[in-house]
Amino acid sequence: MIQVQAVQPEKTTESSVVFSVRDLNVYYGEFRAVRDASFDINENEITAFIGPSGCGKTTVLRCLNRMNDFIETARVEGKIEYHGVDLYDPQVNSNEVRRRIGMVFQKPNPFPKSIFDNVAYGAKLSGRFSKSEIDEVVENALRQAALWDEVKDRLKASALGLSGGQQQRLCIARCIAVKPDVILMDEPCSALDPIATARIEDLMQEIKKDFSIIIVTHNMQQAARVSDRTAFFTTEINPESDRRTGVLVEVDSTRKIFSMPSDERTELYVTGRFG
Amino acid sequence: MDEIRKNYHKHLDEIRQELVRISARVTESIPKATNVLLDQDLNAAEAMIVADDEIDARSVEVEDNCIRVLALQAPVAGDLRQIVAALKISAELERTADLVVNICKAARRIYGHELDPKLRGLVLKMSEQARALMSEATSAYLDLDAARAAAIDDMDSFLDDLQRQFIQAIFESHAAARIDLQVAIQMAVVARFYERIGDHAVNVGEKVRYVVTGWLPEHTGAARHHERVSKDPTPIGLPKADEA
Repeated sequence: MIQVQAVQPEKTTESSVVFSVRDLNVYYGEFRAVRDASFDINENEITAFIGPSGCGKTTVLRCLNRMNDFIETARVEGKIEYHGVDLYDPQVNSNEVRRRIGMVFQKPNPFPKSIFDNVAYGAKLSGRFSKSEIDEVVENALRQAALWDEVKDRLKASALGLSGGQQQRLCIARCIAVKPDVILMDEPCSALDPIATARIEDLMQEIKKDFSIIIVTHNMQQAARVSDRTAFFTTEINPESDRRTGVLVEVDSTRKIFSMPSDERTELYVTGRFG
Repeated sequence: MDEIRKNYHKHLDEIRQELVRISARVTESIPKATNVLLDQDLNAAEAMIVADDEIDARSVEVEDNCIRVLALQAPVAGDLRQIVAALKISAELERTADLVVNICKAARRIYGHELDPKLRGLVLKMSEQARALMSEATSAYLDLDAARAAAIDDMDSFLDDLQRQFIQAIFESHAAARIDLQVAIQMAVVARFYERIGDHAVNVGEKVRYVVTGWLPEHTGAARHHERVSKDPTPIGLPKADEA
C-alpha cells in the first residue's frame, strides 16, 4: 500500500467565509445520518462534495439552506453559521434563508408555465421588484444563465418545450433571479448529456464571481474540472445497527485532493480502489 | 470493500514492472560496457550498440502505454503520480542506455592505446559505483521505497569524487607522457559518461520519492530565480526601466 504523507499545506485562499460549520450531526429519527462534520465554505468559490452513496453529502447540502426543515424526523445538531449568523436560530426566517441560499436539483424542474413566468415567479413573489423592473430582472437572469440568446424570441412559450440542458439553465436563471448569495447544486448534470453538462460547467465558472457555489456530484471528474475546493465524505458502518453514517474525511484545494490527498481513504476513493 | 477498476490498476502495475525490467537491463549493461572499453573488444562493442535499439523500442512502448492511460483512464492522486513518474523514468533510462552505448563507442576511439593501471583501476571503480547507483534506483522503484531512493543522492557524491580523481590522474599520466592527448580527452569524456549515469540514477530516485510522497526536488536554481523575480520582475537581459 502506498503511504501518503502531507508534504506541505496548500495555500489557503484569502476569500471570506460564507458558511462555518462545526460539529454537524444530522439525525433522521434515531438514525444518525452524518457525524461530526466541521468545515468552512469560502465566498466566490465552487466547493464540490464528493463521496460514495449514503455518505451524507446531499444531507449536509440540504442543511445549508434548511431544506431538512421539511422532513419531520430530521434533526440538526451542531453549529452552522452563515456570514456569522446562526442559521438555525429560531429568530431566523427560513424563507429568507432559502432566498439567499438557492438550490438547483438533480432533475430540471421548471414550472408548467412560460419561460418568462418561470424566471419571474420568485422575483414577483419576493415583492422586491416593481412590475417594470421584472422584465429587466428576467432578462439579466437569463443572460447570466447563458440562456437569453436561445430563448429571447419565445419567452411566452412553455418552459416544458425546452431541452433538458436548457431547462436546467432555466432553473439556474430562476434561482439567480431572486438575487441569492449562495447556489447549492445537487447533482445538477446527472440527467444531462455531455454537451449540456459542459455548458452548465462553463456557466458555473462564469457566475462564481457573483455567487458562492456548492455542488454535490457523483462524477469525480466533474468535481476536478469545476471546483476550487473539494470535500470528501465517506460512510462508516455502525457495528451494532449495521447502518451507515456519513463522515467528512477531508476538505482541501481540489488540486490537492486529486494529486496528493492527505487521507488514505480519499486516495482509495478518487483512484477507484474502493467504491 | 471490494477493489474496483482492477484491470486499470493491473495495467498501471505492468507499466512499472516493464520499467523495472528495462532498468535492470540497463544496470547490467554498465559493467559489460566497461569490459568492452578496457578489453577493447570491438565485436562486443558493436553488439551492445545494436542492442540499444531494443531499449529504445521498449521505452517508446512504455511511453505509449502511459499516454493511453492518461487519455482513457483520467488517473488521479497516486495513480497520476505513477504515470507522470513512469514517463519521466522512461526518459531517464533511455538516456542512461545511450550513455552506456557512448562508453562502447569510446572503445573504438581508443583502440590500440594502452591505459596505465591507475586509470584502469579508476574506470573500474567509476563503473562499479555507477552500476550500484542504478541498481539502488531500480530496487527503490520496484519496492516504491522512498527512504532508499533518497539515499541515492548521497551515494552519487562518491561517484563525483571518483570522476575528479580520474581527471587528475589523466593530467598526471599526460604529464608523464604515458597517454596521448587524444586518448586523454576521450577518457575524460568517458568519465563524464559514468558521472552522468549517476545523475540519471539520482533523478530516478527523485521520481520514486514523488510517487510515494508527492515530493518534488527543491531546485536551487528555481529558488534563486523566485528570489530574484520577487525583488525585480524585469526579465534578465532586458534594460531596466530607468536604463531604457
